[in-house]
Amino acid sequence: MKFYDALGLEPKLALDLDDLKKRFYDRSRQWHPDRFSRANSEEKQRSEEMTSMLNDAFRTLRDPVSRAEYFLRESGLELPKDAPPELLEEVFELNMALEELRGGDESARGQLVSAQERFAAMMGDADASLAGLFAHYDEKPERAMLDQIRATLNRRKYVSNLLRDVEKELNVHSAN
Amino acid sequence: MAYSDKVLDHYNNPRNVGSFDKKDPNVGTGMVGAPECGDVMKLQVKVNPATGVIEDAKFKTFGCGSAIASSSLATEWLRGKTVDEALAIKNTDIVNELSLPPVKIHCSVLAEDAIKAAIDDYKKKSENVGVESKAHA
Repeated sequence: MKFYDALGLEPKLALDLDDLKKRFYDRSRQWHPDRFSRANSEEKQRSEEMTSMLNDAFRTLRDPVSRAEYFLRESGLELPKDAPPELLEEVFELNMALEELRGGDESARGQLVSAQERFAAMMGDADASLAGLFAHYDEKPERAMLDQIRATLNRRKYVSNLLRDVEKELNVHSAN
Repeated sequence: MAYSDKVLDHYNNPRNVGSFDKKDPNVGTGMVGAPECGDVMKLQVKVNPATGVIEDAKFKTFGCGSAIASSSLATEWLRGKTVDEALAIKNTDIVNELSLPPVKIHCSVLAEDAIKAAIDDYKKKSENVGVESKAHA
């Protein structure tokens, strides 16, 4: 996987962020275009390409979610786009509350605040289970584990969108 | 993208918006969600257990105009149909009636799924009549 290769890393799901940062800084210095000001055009171009690649690699790998998404894509797994069925009821109730609040019904606020707390907790749970799944997969790379990671990422993404909607609405209405 | 007149009509005057008590044994509830846009659709049917005819249908949809129109139209069509006739409603019927463009076909699929889910829920409930009811899911 080219982002791991660029930083001289084995493709692992769990990464030491300090080590990642150090590798990124070291290699970025090494390939910095300023150091190639008197090099020939081929070397200049190589320096620019490597710098850009290192930036992409670091940005992708430092965040566990984008790292896992990259890892899955490189492993040939498409990210699912399905709404997790177990969340539908909750999403529906949430939309009802959002609609009421937009219509000026302040009593919906309490429901939104508790939804906000619940979604934040779900995000925390998803992050914790991802960390566990990463460690598990790095130790014993089984395809089934990737499927679980995929489902967890999907759920996390869905919840994070919901959380964003709730927070946006709560902010808009607290301004008044 | 312009909505067809029929979509606009359903969007501006949605039919049968609302809900029934989902614990009512004669009510079937279908809740479905769209992957692409995050739409959620709840569609309910109230069935006469003696005749198997859908006497009333209600929906509530959070989503785009086409999703609202698709579910609104679905509830209109459901009223007066038997449960089995209702299952014969296809998403392509909705597409044709509302002249939905290709990018909005998934809205009609969602409505068909909601109908199937609602009927399925009703059937499961009616099979359990007499049996001690399990804690609701």
